Parts: sequence; C-alpha cells; structure tokens
Amino acid sequence: MEASYHSTVAAAKIQAPSAIEFRNVTMAYGTHTVLKDLDLAVQPGEKVTLIGPSGSGKTTVLRLAMTLEKPTGGDIRLFGESMLYGQDGQRLPARDEARMRRRCGMVFQQYNLFPHLTVLDNLILAPSTMRGEAKDKAAHRAMEYLRMVGLEEKKDSYPSQLSGGQQQRIAIARALVLRPEILLLDEITSALDPELAGEVLDVVRDVARETNVTLLIVTHEMRFAREVSDRIVVFEAGRIIEQGTSEKIFTNPSSDRTRAFLQSVLNH
Amino acid sequence: MKAVLEYWPALYQGLLTTIWVAMCSITGAAVGSLILGPLRMSSSRGVRLFALFIIEFIRGASALVALFWVFYSLPSMPHMPRLSPMVASILVLSLIGASYGAEIVRGGILAIPRGQLDASHALGLGKFRTLTKVVLPQALSQIVPSFAGLAADMVKWTSIVSFVGVRDLVYVGDSIRTATYETVSVYVVLGAIYWALCFICELIFQCVEHFLPLNKALRVTKCRSQPVPRAQMQTEGVKP
Amino acid sequence: MTWDWNFVFQILPDLLVGVWYTILITIGSAAIALIGGLLLAIFENVSTRAGRLVVRFFLGLFKGVPILVLLYFGYYLLPQFGLTLPAMAIGIAVLGLVYAAFCSEVYRGGLITIPAGLRDASVALGLSPYVMWRRVYVPLMIQRASPALINYVLTLFRQTSFLFAIGVPVLIGKAQVAGYQSFRYLEPFTVAGALYLALNIPFLFLLSRFKTKYA
Repeated sequence: MEASYHSTVAAAKIQAPSAIEFRNVTMAYGTHTVLKDLDLAVQPGEKVTLIGPSGSGKTTVLRLAMTLEKPTGGDIRLFGESMLYGQDGQRLPARDEARMRRRCGMVFQQYNLFPHLTVLDNLILAPSTMRGEAKDKAAHRAMEYLRMVGLEEKKDSYPSQLSGGQQQRIAIARALVLRPEILLLDEITSALDPELAGEVLDVVRDVARETNVTLLIVTHEMRFAREVSDRIVVFEAGRIIEQGTSEKIFTNPSSDRTRAFLQSVLNH
Repeated sequence: MKAVLEYWPALYQGLLTTIWVAMCSITGAAVGSLILGPLRMSSSRGVRLFALFIIEFIRGASALVALFWVFYSLPSMPHMPRLSPMVASILVLSLIGASYGAEIVRGGILAIPRGQLDASHALGLGKFRTLTKVVLPQALSQIVPSFAGLAADMVKWTSIVSFVGVRDLVYVGDSIRTATYETVSVYVVLGAIYWALCFICELIFQCVEHFLPLNKALRVTKCRSQPVPRAQMQTEGVKP
Repeated sequence: MTWDWNFVFQILPDLLVGVWYTILITIGSAAIALIGGLLLAIFENVSTRAGRLVVRFFLGLFKGVPILVLLYFGYYLLPQFGLTLPAMAIGIAVLGLVYAAFCSEVYRGGLITIPAGLRDASVALGLSPYVMWRRVYVPLMIQRASPALINYVLTLFRQTSFLFAIGVPVLIGKAQVAGYQSFRYLEPFTVAGALYLALNIPFLFLLSRFKTKYA
C-alpha cells in the first residue's frame, strides 16, 4: 500500500510542483542533530499531520518551512522554487526570501498575539504596513475572518482579556488574513486547557473543509489528526518512520515503533 | 537661614537654569538611547561592536572629565568649535546619558519573549516595523521605569556644569555662601531643592508609564482567565 | 594649537600622582560602600518598622542629593563643629556613604531573590540567625549582587573626579592645575581622559568574567 501511495504522489509531482518539499534536509544545533536527511513533499491543498514523540523534530520542520530557522543541509522548495538558493546557486537574497515567506502563515503554541494591540489591530498590522493595504479595507477583511472564528464582538478587546482558546482563534484569524497558501499549525492546542481546545480545533476543521489552504499540522490530538488529515507522517528521532493515510496509520500501522507510540498516546 | 532666603531671586534663576539643563540633557539622552540601543542589537556584527565601542568610550571617563575636555581641550584642536558653557554641558550630559540609556533600552528589548519575534517574522513584518510596532511598544514598559532612575541621576549630574561657568543652583549656592557665610543653610536648601527635583522627575516618569501601550492594555483587563505572566513582569518595571 | 609631546612628558609625573590618589580614594570608598551597603541591607531586613524608616530616610538623602552638594556640605560644615578633617577623608567618606546607599539596594535585591525555602531549611537544621546570615544568606547575596556591585564600583571610580572640587589632588584636579598654569589645555585633559579610560579596563574585564560566571 505504501508503494502505491508513493507512486500516486510521484504522479502528482509530474503534474504540478509540490506546495512545499523538503529535500535531504538536515538540521543540527551544534552536536545535536534534530533532523536527518529528511525528504517530505506536501501537495497543494493537502492536509498533512506530523505526529511522533517529543523531540523527534516535528516542530523544527514547521519552523524551517516558515524560515524561522535555516537548515544546516539540504534544500526546501516552495511551489518548485528553492527557499534557500537563487537561480545561480548562491544564497537567496533577502527580498526573494521575504516574497516566498508571504505564501506561508503560522500559528504558534503560545499564540504570540501582540499584547499591546487590540484584536483588530493585531489582525490589520501586517496587511496595512507590509502589504500596503488601506487600513479600512484591511479592517473590513479582518472582520470577515473574525466572523469566521466566531469572535467578531471582541474586535476592540485586548488579548489579556480573552481566554486561551479565544486568543488562539484570533491567532488563526491573524494568520488567515494574509491569505497564505500554506498554513503551519504548531501544537496549537497544547497550551490550552482541554475544555478550550475544542473550539480551536473546530475552527481548524472549518478551515480544512471550506478552503483549499495546504495545512501542515503538528499535534498530539490524535482524534483530530485522524479526522482532518489526508496524510499522517510519523516522526521519530529526526526521521520519518512511516507515513500514510490516517485510516492506515491509526488502524493498521506497518511499523512497530508507530504502534508503540500510538499506544502510549491513546491510553490517557 | 533668613539671610540665605533673602537671596531667593538668585536661587530661582539658578533653579530655572538647572531645570533647563536637566530637561535638555534628559531629552537628548532619551533620543540617543533609542538610537544607540537598537544599534547594539543590530544583526551586523560590525554595527554592534561599533555601538559598543562608542558606549564604553563615552561612559569611560566621568562626566566631569568629558565636560572639561569638550570645553577646554576641544577648542585647542584645529577646526574644532568653541562651544558655550551651556551647549557644551548639555551635549556632554546627553551623550553620557544616552550611553547609559542604551544599555537600558537593550535590556528592555532583550526581555521581549522570542514568540513575539517569531510571530512578526511569520506575518512578514520587516525588521524596522517589528522594532517600532511590536518590540519597542512592549519594551518601553520595562525601559521607562529604569530610565526614570537614570533621569533622576542626570538631574544630579547637572551640578557639575557649575565648573564651566553655567549659573546653575550649585554656582548660585556657592556665591550665596561666600556672601553670607551661612554654609549649613545654603547647602541644606540646595540639598532639599535637588531632592525635590529628583522626586518630581520620578513622578513625571510614572505618569509617562501610565500612557504606555502595553500598560494601557493590561489595565483594561479586569479578570484574566489565562494570565500573561511575562507581560506582567514588564509593567512592574524590574529595576536593574 | 598642535600637540606638544614635551609638555606631555613634563606634566606626566604630576598626572601620575593624580592617578595614585584616584586609586587610593577608589579603594577606600569602595571598601566603605561594599561593607557598609551589606550591613545596611542586613540591618534593614532584621530591624523594626522604625529602623526601616531610618534606613529609607538615609537612602533617600544620599540618593537624592548630588555628590557635589554633599561634598561641599561636608567640607564646609564639619570645621564649624571643630572637626577639621583633611579633604581626602571627607571625600572618601561622602563617596563611601553615597555608594553604600546604592549598594545596599543591590544587596537587598539579591536578598529578595533568595528562595524562601532556604530559610525554612535553615530553621529545620537548627541554625542560629547569626550562622544563617553568615554562612547562607550573605554568601548568596554577594554572589547575586556581584555584577551590579562591580558596576557601582566602576561608577564610583569615575566619580572620584568630583573630589577636585574640595581640593583633593585627583587626576582631573592635577590636569586642571597643569592647564591653568601653562595655559595649554589640550594635552592635560586629553592625557587625563586617556588615563581614566585606560583605568576602566580592569573593571570591564572583571565584569565580563563575572557575567559569564553568574549570568
């Protein structure tokens, strides 16, 4: 089943470039190697979830995609274009990097909302300053996304007045306002009390269902991962040990280590 | 004491001069810190070291030595201007204040959680915008209380300008002393005035703190279900 | 006016005497400041409400009034009470007291960050207050306060130049005398400035060592 999956992916590759592709990526901090020779391709519109034990490199994959870090080896391609090297093989100039970065958005575990700005200001800061959008137009669009996450009445509140779940939903809206083609979700419910996680996951389900944004998700919420994902990628110690559809991984994983990990996580 | 208080017009003039010098120097220092501080954190190593060198160089000699050098030695060098006592004093005090202030600004910027920088990066905000719209508005909540302490110190530093002929409180006090021989009273009065000036200076900065964006945001909160601990630390103003 | 090296060598011995005085005064004042500050911090911690108010008054006094004013006060006031101390002693005393006030705040800061659990542990081990302070608190306070304390000693060193106002032959005073006598101001102040800058270096070196050790 793995083989046929890969050939389907390979066929898709011939037709259109992957949304994001990691080629032989290695990431090391000093002597500690977090990712080893990673090959991973995500198709446009695909919803991919990365699971695995802590420290296995999943968050690093997202941070590399968002250019928050640069890999120590290998290449990362966004819609066919390298994010690290220019046409001439030299390091990509900052301006091109910034241009490509705009196609990605990220939501963080700690929400990272700007505490000194109201909710609305949080949403319109980037579009109005960096993309030259008129403030009222940006505000109008921002309200649409606030409606989408169900928090339009909070537009003049400050982040500190909101619950964690509300803050995270605002963070998702903030990322979506920029209309990214790829959305990176880094353990967005891990910092939340369990009863608040649900409202955030509902928003992500809506985004997955109603838009064709490519999603790259890192989460420990297995039920959610199973529901939302087209593909699950299992990490361990910086390598992919298995990948496949959520049905396959959750009901009949091929690898023993995947089995062991799922056992430990699902028995809470 | 009565004899001293008869000289109140002169004391008043001296007070105005002292206040003027203090206000100009503090303003100059604030502007200088906001320029030098971020330079110390530039991504270019050359700029960082250059800023560090300037800061340590200016701080290295005391205010008095620097003032004398600028006022007496500088004109001796070819093509260098002869500055008036007032201009020389304000220039020197501003520069020294800026070099101390730069460290305060740097400390405030360093205290911003990494997540804020990550979010700005993810949203595509450039370095300048990140600094001016995200980092500084929050960092000011820690910078302003510390800067208040520096400003109060600068009020005291103004006492040295009497040595280059500026007619500030110390200068006037000295003349009153020679005129009346009432040493104790003169310096008690001076001490009290300076103490009051420092106190008022701190009050002014506390008012400024009130209007900072992060502090305003946190005041609006009446009950928080998930507190923001780091931001709270910033408003409480950790003094170095 | 161009640089005259001969003049520099002429005044250098005088300037070096000034350096010597500066160093002496720094050491004397620093000793008073560091030890006095520690005692003040301990006293403030263990004393009653009244005692704390006295300390606060003392701190407010020495932190709110410029050093220059305090120097003049000491210099002109004490003879009226029959105490004619040499200017240098007054200078060291004033600097020492002012910086004792600053240092006590630093020690207090170090004290506050010591976890309450250590006090509980000391009580549980039956340590007397004296031993607790001497063997547990004070070493920790000094350790935590060290970087800030070194910074204050450095600032103190820079402010020794103020003592020239009451006639103490510190470096800047000597430079001014040299300039005044010869009407050449370029060399004395520049050399004095360079010497001051050079003397900063050992402090900065110590500071960077401490920062990496305790940061």
